[in-house]
Order: sequence, then structure tokens, then C-alpha cells
Amino acid sequence: MSSKRRIAATIVVLVAIIGVFVVRLVDIQVVRADTLSADSLGNRSVERTVYGSRGEILDANGVVLAGTVMRYDVALSPKNASPFTRTVDGVETTVPLAQSVADIGAIVGLPTEQVQALITEALADNPKSDYALVARQVGVDAFRALSALDIPWLTFQQNPGRVYPNGAVAGNLVGFVSSAGEAQAGLEVGQDSCLASNNGSETYERGADGVRLPESTVTTEPASDGSDVITTIDSDLQFFVQKVLAEQAQKTGAAWGNVIVQEVKTGKLVAVADYPSVDPNDVSATTNPEDRGSRAFTASYEPGSTFKALTAASVIDAGVATPESQVVAPYRYLPENGANINDSSSHPDLNLTLTGVLIESSNTGTSQFGERLTNQQRYDYMTKFGVGTETETGFPGEDPGILHPADEWDNQTQYATMFGQGLTTTALQVSSIYQTIANGGVRMPVQLVSGCRAADGTLTDVPAAEGTQVVSAEAARDTADILEMVYQKAWLADTWEIPGYRAAAKTGTAQMPDGNGGYSKGYLVSVSGFAPADDPQYVVSVSLADPVNMNSSAAPAPVFQEVMSQVLKKYRAVPSGAAAPDLPGTW
Amino acid sequence: MSDNLARVLTTEPLRPDFTERSGADERRHIEIVSPSTHTRPRVVYALSAVACVGAVIVAQLLLSVGISQGAYEISALRASQVELGRTADSVSEDLIRVSSPQSLAANAEALGMVSNSTPAYLRLSDGAVLGAPTSASGGAAGAASLVPNSLLTGVPLVTQLPAGGQGTSVASGAPAAGTAPAAVTVADGLPSPTTR
Repeated sequence: MSSKRRIAATIVVLVAIIGVFVVRLVDIQVVRADTLSADSLGNRSVERTVYGSRGEILDANGVVLAGTVMRYDVALSPKNASPFTRTVDGVETTVPLAQSVADIGAIVGLPTEQVQALITEALADNPKSDYALVARQVGVDAFRALSALDIPWLTFQQNPGRVYPNGAVAGNLVGFVSSAGEAQAGLEVGQDSCLASNNGSETYERGADGVRLPESTVTTEPASDGSDVITTIDSDLQFFVQKVLAEQAQKTGAAWGNVIVQEVKTGKLVAVADYPSVDPNDVSATTNPEDRGSRAFTASYEPGSTFKALTAASVIDAGVATPESQVVAPYRYLPENGANINDSSSHPDLNLTLTGVLIESSNTGTSQFGERLTNQQRYDYMTKFGVGTETETGFPGEDPGILHPADEWDNQTQYATMFGQGLTTTALQVSSIYQTIANGGVRMPVQLVSGCRAADGTLTDVPAAEGTQVVSAEAARDTADILEMVYQKAWLADTWEIPGYRAAAKTGTAQMPDGNGGYSKGYLVSVSGFAPADDPQYVVSVSLADPVNMNSSAAPAPVFQEVMSQVLKKYRAVPSGAAAPDLPGTW
Repeated sequence: MSDNLARVLTTEPLRPDFTERSGADERRHIEIVSPSTHTRPRVVYALSAVACVGAVIVAQLLLSVGISQGAYEISALRASQVELGRTADSVSEDLIRVSSPQSLAANAEALGMVSNSTPAYLRLSDGAVLGAPTSASGGAAGAASLVPNSLLTGVPLVTQLPAGGQGTSVASGAPAAGTAPAAVTVADGLPSPTTR
């Protein structure tokens, strides 16, 4: 063979080999590049959930009423549940299944048999079962104890949980979330758009020994934390009020009750207590679902005589009566339209002033004043006082109450609405009526939430703080004076006396519906008032439903006294200096 | 009218005079450069190039060893950060729990404190007593339990803590257990801090 041929053959072989390489190179680097690199990344890369934390619910002073904590769901793999070897200080010991099961049960607080049953049932269902939930949302301490057991078939999943450090304090308002993190009640639902967080995710690459490779973290979706809800509640006062209410409600055998403390000048709710109430940490302990919310917002009822303050303010503002205006109040009053009005107990004809009518809480006297206005006029005053519409709190499920238009009132209702029957209000609306009277006739929007605070401190959703003039300042002052006379001279004067302070208050005893269109034997008894009377600062409104052991407004009066004393003490209201006015009740 | 055209005003010759420097050019001479001075540096260059490459490789190796060492360190620190975070969460949860009103009220009651519902004030300017002071009556014991807090289940009251069991500061700071603290004697009015 000539050398030319050899060279030619070599070149052909070389070109062929290079050709094979080129084809292979193009195949790997271009044709299958994406699949291969994805495969290789998949072997190394790990995806992880980054949890955003749900916002907190705070009281007016920054005390946490609801917060987010990291909790752990514990699960086991039934098919792998078997004895395993544990190495402690180089010594290998075999841990039998029974002991592992007992250890797990002891830490999560389940009986050993129940954990064992979990495994056997899961295996009976599906012999290849790889997942059985042992406990949801265990705390850090239990999680650490469980991981220290080193059981290879026990797994943990992070699951952010909700914690309510103050328990039942404001539990009626704050509400609660389900174990899956879904808002269920109260502000948790009402403010969900502010509180809600978003979980994000990140991927990173890790080496064979599980160590994260430097510079490999990629955030695929950023997590975002929720904002905080700032309420107007004072948690210390709320605790005190709830305690006093519960004590008295149990003593008097009341079915339920509530207390509202509201700031006169701003309309802010400082405390809203309900009995019975809920501890959001342990919702199932409150068996009746109706007891898990706040009836102060969601239950409306006929307010009864506390409503007479609104009628008095209306007639004074309209100029048809003064605190000294005189009527003769009989036991039974039969107006021309055919209605039939009785007082609560039999009495001879009384010569009463408007002040005296409220002191004696006379229905017949109130009727004679109320009829000086047209139905439409009184209806307009009621709506301006906030009756018949939800307050501005935005609390979920708030009841607007029932107020029929004036032209739908029948003959009896025309008179009944003067003294708080024939219409319904929530405890909150009654409190708001007294706030208006105490605040020179200016009704402030009722506030429960003062805003939604983002992480950078900006406050959004701040409620409106513009008041509306419902009655003139003089009419409000006159009505307040009348209520102060009631506080001084009514039959409960000794029960609700706060030494050193001037206060104003009115009782109410309303029949409760029996649910079949009639009235039951139970009464809803209430006291609403404000103090100090010379410069009103706080409204306290107490309601007790059907206190079987004491079916009169003597039941809520001690609660009013204790709560109002505490409020005055807490907010350092100076004892009243000036003497109270003295309005005649009779003539 | 004026124009802006440039004009050469000088009458001097513009070209330099070459005749003066022609003598210096004649004195230049040429030397033969020895070839040996070129060959020796070539080896040095080669060596230093190799050395540089070697140094780069070594440096890169050291750097990557350093980075992966750092990765382990970061990983360990991350783990300990998570652990410490858990501890912080756990203890702050404990703290918030015991500072709840129920816990404070129950502990205050256990220590024999009662709340007074009749507020009264002493006005410092003229010593006037505002309000009507009355002594406190003992409230209903255990009233704090009316507002339940399931987080406090199993948390002992201060009076139920084992004596000296909770940290040495309590044991050493307090006088011998069991002896009542000596009654405060008031000699010259109430004790007050000295202010200057």
C-alpha cells in the first residue's frame, strides 16, 4: 500500500470518529439538554415551603390577643412501623415497637392503645399505608421530645398555629380559626383581609450529605406576612368586666348577658364582655355554638325602659317638653287611638315631671310625652340615634335590629316604641344611644378596630371619626341631668352608688319573646349609664337575660356599679367636685 | 467693514534649518547584540508561566475548599439558628402565658391580694381626700377561673412552686425560708428616696 492511500484511510477514520463525537455532542448539549439538566437538578434540588405568618390581633395597648406560632403535625408510616436500632454513644440498642408506641403516646398525650390502633387500622385498610396522622399542632417541646426519640418512621410537618395568650379574655370578639387555619368567627373573620398571609416557596440544591450548596437558593414565590389588627379593647379591663359579669350571671342564674364599656368622646369600645363566652384556645369546651360569638353584636331584643332616655331626648330637642314639664301618670292609660298602656305595678295617679317619669320609669307618663311628637318624627330621631342599622364596627354577623317604618306601626306599637317595646336593638345600639346623650348630642361612630397596621408601621382602614349631631347640646344636657336624677333617686340608688362620683343611669326590664310570637316569663334586665355626670367619659351598659334568681334590674345594677368604679379608677377620672343639679320629680 | 480671514503676519522662514543637525547623524554606530542574552530569559518566562498557572489552580482549589467548608458552617449555623429560634419562641410563649390577666389575678389572689372597688385619691397639692375611701373586701376566691384560659392548664401558682426549686437567685435572694420578713418600722415618717 502506498503511503497516499494510508493517509487517505487515516483521514476517513478520523473524520468518522470526529463525526460520531459531534453527533453525540449535539445530542447531549442541544437536543436533550433541557431534560438532562432538569434531571440532574432534580437529583440535587429541594423545594421548601416558606411560611408567612398570619397577622396578630392586638388590644389598644399592644397586648397580643391572637398570635401565630409554629406548630408541628406528627405522622407515622404504618408500613414501616417496626423495631429499629438506635445508636447512643456508639452502643446500638434495638427499640421494640411497643416501646416506641408508648413513648409517642406519652409525649403527644394519647393512650398507647390508641397509637397502636392507629397503626393496625391503617394497615388493615391498606397494607402499604405510608401515612397516618398521630397529632396535629404539637408544641415545640413535644416536637423536640419526639425528634429525640430518633424513630425513623416518624415524620413532622410544620403547620403554623394560632395562639390566644389571654384565653377567654376578648375571646368573644377575637374569634378563632380552624385547625387548618381557616378563620371561623369574630375579628378573625371580619378582619381576614388584613390578617391573611401567603405562604411562599424556595428551592435550593443540596449535596449528597444534605448540606445546602452555596449560592443555590432560588425564591420561586416570596412569602408575605399578614398585617396586624389593632382593636380599641383594653385587655385588662376586658378581663375584669368579663369576670364581674360571669360572677353575677352565675349568681342570678342568667341565661346570658353582656357588658359594654364605651368611650364617650370617641365612640371607641373599651370592653365588650359576653357571658357565656369562649376560650379560643379550646373552642370545643364551649358546647353551645351560640355561646362562641358575641351576643352584644349579634343578638337584638326589645330594650325596654333604657329606651325612655331616647324618647326624653327627642321631646326635649323638638321643644315640646322640658325636664320640668308636668303630666298626671295613671296606672293605666287609654289613648284615643285604642291602645292600652299599663305601668309595671299598680299605683294611684301620680303628678310627675318628665324627670319624675324617668325616675319612676312610668310607661303611661312616657306615653303622654311621646305622643306630643308624630310617629314619623320619633322614627327619624330613632334612626338618627342609630336604631335599625348596624353600627360601624364591621363585626361579622352584626344584627341591625328591627325597626319597622313609622307608617307600619299599629296602634299599640305607636306607644310601645316610646318605652322600648315593639322594636329591637342590640346592646351595642343602646350603648351608642347613651354615648350620644353623654356627648352633647353628638353620636360618634362605634369603633372596635382602630386600624390595620402593616409591617412598616403604616395604619390603613382607619375608621371614620366624624360625629353627627342627633339632638342639640342643650337637649342632651337636659336629658343627662334627668338621668343623673334617676341615678340619685330611683329605687336602686343605694345598689349602684359610687361614692364620690356623680353618675347617670337608667334601668330597663323588657319582656323576652318566647320564640312563638308571644312573650315568655323571662325578662331581659339592663342598666345603662355614664359617668362622671359633670363631664361624661365612659358609658357602661349591662344586660342580663332571664336571671331566674332575681328577675329585676337589681340583677345588673351591682355589675354596673363595679364596672363603672373600675373604669373610673383605671382611667383616673377625678371624683366629681361640683354639686349635682336638683330637678323636681313631682309637682 | 472688517473680515475674519486669518493672515500670516510673520516674515520669518517657516521651515526649520536642517543643515545644523546633519553632523550629529553621522556619529551613530551599530553594535552586534549577543544572542545568549535572549535564550536565558525564555526558560524563566516558561517557569514563571507554569508557576502562575499552578498558583491559580492551587488558589482555586483552596477557594473552593474554603467555600464548601463555609457551606458546612452555614448549614450548621442555620440549624442552630432554627433551634435557637424554637427555644426563643417557646420561652416567649411561656412568658406571654404567665403575663395573661388570668395568671396575674390568680397569683395575686394566691398571695392574699384583694382589689378595692371604691376609688379614692389623695391630692398632693393640698392633701385633700377625693372620693370616699373604704377598705377592700375580699373578692370571691378563684374568680379568675370564670374567664378560662386553657393555656394555663398545669402551670403552678407562685405559692405552689417548690421552695428554692426555681433558680438559685430566688433561694439566695430571699431570707431563710419560713421566717417572716421583719415588720417595717416607721421612725420619721414614711421612708423616701433622697433626691438632690
